[in-house]
Amino acid sequence: MRWLVLLLASSAWAVDPASVLRERCLKCHGGEKVSAGFDLTKAASPLVLAKVESGEMPLGGPRLSADELAAVKTWVEAGAKPLAAPPRKLFWAFRPVVKPPVPQVAGAKTAIDAFLLEKLQAKGLGFAPPADARTLLRRLSFDLTGLPPAGTMPYEQAVEAYLASPRYGERWGRHWLDVVRFGETDGGEHNFERALAWPYRDYVIESLNADKPYPQFLREQIAGDLLAPQDPKIVRATGFLTAGPWDSVSAELNKDAAMKATARMDELDDMVTTTMHTFQAMTANCARCHDHKFDPIPTRDYYKLTAVFQTVGFGTREVVTPEAKAAYDKATAPLRAQLKDVEQQIADAEDPLRAAYLRKAIREFHEARKADARRIPVNPVFNVNRIREAGELRLVITGHDGPLAKLDWLTVGGRRIEKWQAERKAPPDEPVYLSLGTVAAPGEMAWACDEQLARRPGGITVYRVEAKRGAEWVEVASSLDHVRSVEVLLPSAPDPGLVPELKVVRDRLKAEIAKIPAPEKIYAAMPHAPDQAYVLERGSIGKKKEPVEPGALSVLPAAFATEKDRRLALADWMTDPANPLTARVIVNRVWYFHFGNGLVNTPSDFGLMGDRPSHPELLDWLAASFVENGWSLKWLHRQILQTQAYQQSAAHNEKAFAVDAGNRLLWHMPLKRMDAETLRDSMLAAAGTLDLKMGGPSFRLHRMESGGSYIFKAVANPGPETWRRSVYRFNVRGGDRLMLDNFDCPDPSVATPQRSSSNTALQALTLLNDDFVWEQAQKLAARAGSVGRAYEIVLGRPASARELALGAQYAAQHSLALFCRVLLNTNEFLYIP
Amino acid sequence: MTRRDLLWNAGGGAAGLALAQLLQGKGAHFPAKAKRLIMIFLPGGLSAVDTYDYKPELVKHHGKETQGANTITPFFGKRGTVMQSPWKFAQHGQSGKFVSELLPHLATCVDDTTFVHSMVTRSNAHGPALFQMSTGFIFQGFPSIGSWISYGLGSENENLPSFVVLPDRRGLPPCGVANWGNGFLPAVHQGVAFGNQEQPISNLRPPAAVNAKAQAASYDLLSQLNEEHAGANPGEDALVSRIRAYELAAKMQLAAPEVTDISGETAATRQAYGLNDPEMRDYGYNCLLARRLMERGVRVIQMYNGGHFGAPRVNWDAHEDLITNHGKNARILDQPTAALLKDLKQRGMLDDTLVVFTTEFGRLPISEGLGEGGRDHNPEGFTSWMVGPGLKKGFSYGSTDEMGYKATDNPVTLYDFHATILHLMGLDHTRLSWYHNGLQRRLTDVHGHVLKPLFS
Repeated sequence: MRWLVLLLASSAWAVDPASVLRERCLKCHGGEKVSAGFDLTKAASPLVLAKVESGEMPLGGPRLSADELAAVKTWVEAGAKPLAAPPRKLFWAFRPVVKPPVPQVAGAKTAIDAFLLEKLQAKGLGFAPPADARTLLRRLSFDLTGLPPAGTMPYEQAVEAYLASPRYGERWGRHWLDVVRFGETDGGEHNFERALAWPYRDYVIESLNADKPYPQFLREQIAGDLLAPQDPKIVRATGFLTAGPWDSVSAELNKDAAMKATARMDELDDMVTTTMHTFQAMTANCARCHDHKFDPIPTRDYYKLTAVFQTVGFGTREVVTPEAKAAYDKATAPLRAQLKDVEQQIADAEDPLRAAYLRKAIREFHEARKADARRIPVNPVFNVNRIREAGELRLVITGHDGPLAKLDWLTVGGRRIEKWQAERKAPPDEPVYLSLGTVAAPGEMAWACDEQLARRPGGITVYRVEAKRGAEWVEVASSLDHVRSVEVLLPSAPDPGLVPELKVVRDRLKAEIAKIPAPEKIYAAMPHAPDQAYVLERGSIGKKKEPVEPGALSVLPAAFATEKDRRLALADWMTDPANPLTARVIVNRVWYFHFGNGLVNTPSDFGLMGDRPSHPELLDWLAASFVENGWSLKWLHRQILQTQAYQQSAAHNEKAFAVDAGNRLLWHMPLKRMDAETLRDSMLAAAGTLDLKMGGPSFRLHRMESGGSYIFKAVANPGPETWRRSVYRFNVRGGDRLMLDNFDCPDPSVATPQRSSSNTALQALTLLNDDFVWEQAQKLAARAGSVGRAYEIVLGRPASARELALGAQYAAQHSLALFCRVLLNTNEFLYIP
Repeated sequence: MTRRDLLWNAGGGAAGLALAQLLQGKGAHFPAKAKRLIMIFLPGGLSAVDTYDYKPELVKHHGKETQGANTITPFFGKRGTVMQSPWKFAQHGQSGKFVSELLPHLATCVDDTTFVHSMVTRSNAHGPALFQMSTGFIFQGFPSIGSWISYGLGSENENLPSFVVLPDRRGLPPCGVANWGNGFLPAVHQGVAFGNQEQPISNLRPPAAVNAKAQAASYDLLSQLNEEHAGANPGEDALVSRIRAYELAAKMQLAAPEVTDISGETAATRQAYGLNDPEMRDYGYNCLLARRLMERGVRVIQMYNGGHFGAPRVNWDAHEDLITNHGKNARILDQPTAALLKDLKQRGMLDDTLVVFTTEFGRLPISEGLGEGGRDHNPEGFTSWMVGPGLKKGFSYGSTDEMGYKATDNPVTLYDFHATILHLMGLDHTRLSWYHNGLQRRLTDVHGHVLKPLFS
């Protein structure tokens, strides 16, 4: 026997000892984990042999064979060298997309159904019976257009008709706007309106309707201003970057430099967060203060991403060539001057407080002049000088009434000059020179040394503005101009009775100006001079570590072209075939909105803390096929809409419910409560009052109440101009909560990849008692004329005889309008089967 | 994420939880000291050195330039000189607590009160600071503290909202309804602002053209249609809970007017709450309403003393003229707030009600600009107080430096402050969480320590 063992042992020379250890031991000892503190890749020990010989190890697995034992012995005798660390297995989301074969499943209508049925059948389940034609058409119509079906047609034909309908972009554009936190006010304390943010909303709707290939849709939103700087149709796409809340108070008013710098980091953080959530489903923002606790995203990656967005600021921009801009300015200058004058007169007449404020300032200045003849007539509150010379300018201060302190503000040509402070306590006879920089179109210089009339010492009294002509400085304005400026400003206290007349003049001037084609203005990414980005220790602006260049997530092999513009490089990186996230994330979003369940149920988080795909092969099959088919979203919709899965009924199934209450396996089509917009739009559609006008400025359900801070209150009686599709509503941050909000329409302060669908008493009160519902119920009654017809319009089906009798009795006792109000409150209306 | 969380997050549909379950909340983590919370919020920024944080050094240095370490940059950048309080301080009660003459009625409550003098917040701007006090985060859109508590503990009276907001009648606070939003929590946890007495909750009453009989008949017909529909769609919890929601709505329609009707209150009570004084009347009514709401089981009340900015300011943001601003606001605040505390005490309600008094930040001990009479924002040291069970009474915690610039002794972040409030309500701030965009979100982010030294 001994001989035989030896023979076997010698034959074991053919077995690689390392491969035995890798296969049998490494999983627990240095591979996926390090059990009992013993790591084969760091240290090794002859003890291993004893453990495997005694059978104590591998824990819970079959004992090593004789060959394997011999190999381990050989390894020990050779010195028990540590093993090479195995390549780390990538988390599912980062693995390349590999198109799997479609499983062969009997009874599967489409490839998608085959993947789904394979899992259902493994649990002894299947799809619910097909939905009836009426239900299916209603489901399809709400799903693709957000509105009830207008008539009947065969399903296949309806798929094409609805996908081709402009209503499709409105419906799916709204989904996208949730994901990207699109709002039309700044939020926060000042909460200013963004009257020109709507072009981004139109961009989204039009792009979806045009079935723009997804990489193009992505690139334009990240870097449209770089792709086509003079094309408003493309630049508006970058409204994506700045659609989030913006703390204008911290960014602009705050005098504390550290707070201001932190506010800028918060702006960059918002762009990084939203871009990474939207397109990559990665919570890169978690790496702001420390390496991501769960996902392979080091802090360094996060700060590389902040560098990418350094070229973006917040605000409303013109999209125009400099030549076209100059021509426009020239053409409109005289009209605008007249307009300004008229508006000033109206303002003075309408606002006695402001007029009184200015009068007080000017009276004080005259008194000061009387008291001291040497004092030159300069107003501490507001001064304007006209400057006719462009180029390099400087301000020369030759007189001031105290140690020269900061001015409250200074603008040249409408641009604020920030760096002009002269702290030096200059003797009165020595001029102080302040550079105003090179100004292309100075126009007016406006300044104040004591804006709030606090009677601070240190005001400027004598000065001149000089322009550099060759080597010489030439005076182009001075405090001597001021007598006239002040006289112009003196409110001549226009008669309030003249206001209506002045307004006619104003409106005429505005109309004339409007006739001249203006450069388009859009709230979108503003050019911003990039600062050097640094890694910040614990996210603190005061703790800069090493500088970083623009870049993206290091865990993926996709290329980030550093020689390109940084945002284009990011867009390329995201659409690189080596980036597996982009396609997976968008196909999962589309799936989620169709079924109310994602294949991954955290559509903006594919990280470790997020959900795992319920059908990983199907997700990859969809992602790969989507890319093969030109990244076409409409192609993807068609694939899903053709499935048995989509066309099955909502029928309940106790057995399936017991196995899979969450319906992850899709054993039926879940019943879905209409979302807020669908509910409102469908009521308008039922009443026959829906205005299908597309695009343009948003209609308002909130009005701004201002008084230092801004509050958005409900519009008292919103009229027919508001009976448009809800996607065109002005999206207020922090406004009064109205009907849509009560039905879980999210406040756009944070991104909402999934809406909740709550069920509250306030919803019941709203739907029953809100004036809007009552008004539409009356219109519906007038349109329908009978209980039976109302059933057909609201629920898309004929009423049963019993329902007719019940309804008629109620309508006779109360009114048809009240009956219609009840119908609009029914679960059958609210829930889409 | 657990399956249960998924269900909570999904909120509706077959997988969703029934309304009744949502109303119940997730349940306390440990036995609570307090069952109810009322937060009295003074937007704009209450000055601590003019009310509760006595600083005799200010008198000594009045009018002098500030020196050395006090290099804080005021929000508007206008550094003035040291400014003593225009109001005199005196000691009150057994505890001998110094309170200024600005708050004579609240000064009589100091022996029941637990002061925190070392509050710090992250921003010197109103918006972020308000958000941090209201939601724990300096950004807009996170669930408010009331929503978190509603989510955690649910309602004791389903006929009224679990979280009620009583805005100042002079206007909403800066940032408006975002201060009581439910953020990503389900809408049932939103703060419901009570409006006027006739229509306390919007849409509470039917349109004018719909009489009571027709309204009742509407409820009946709807219920019948919905029952039939639910019967035809078995297994769908959401349909059943929607039927419940209409029943609740009908009850709320009765309960809300009952609570706002104070005709049964005695003349002495009205007098105490300042209802006969034209200036105090509106705020006094809210204080009384707060008591009535709490008596009926409302879980959280957020009550404001002060509205928005603007001219004239109707909140505590005393940039220009401290004497006029704080003088006027304090007169409105003082008597009704003290009356509420005494009323709660007398009725035994302080045994299970937590009262929290706070503001978004304090005000600097220097003037705003040279020779001016206002004070700018101070995020680095301000005062809040609590009254309620389980707390050391007549006790002061933490302190600012001798001038009142910065919290020096035991600084209290808002994370600590919020963690402590949750603790008193029986909730563990590290466990009260909700999955949102990749994180288990909490009121206290990843921070916060319960302030055990405050507990008796």
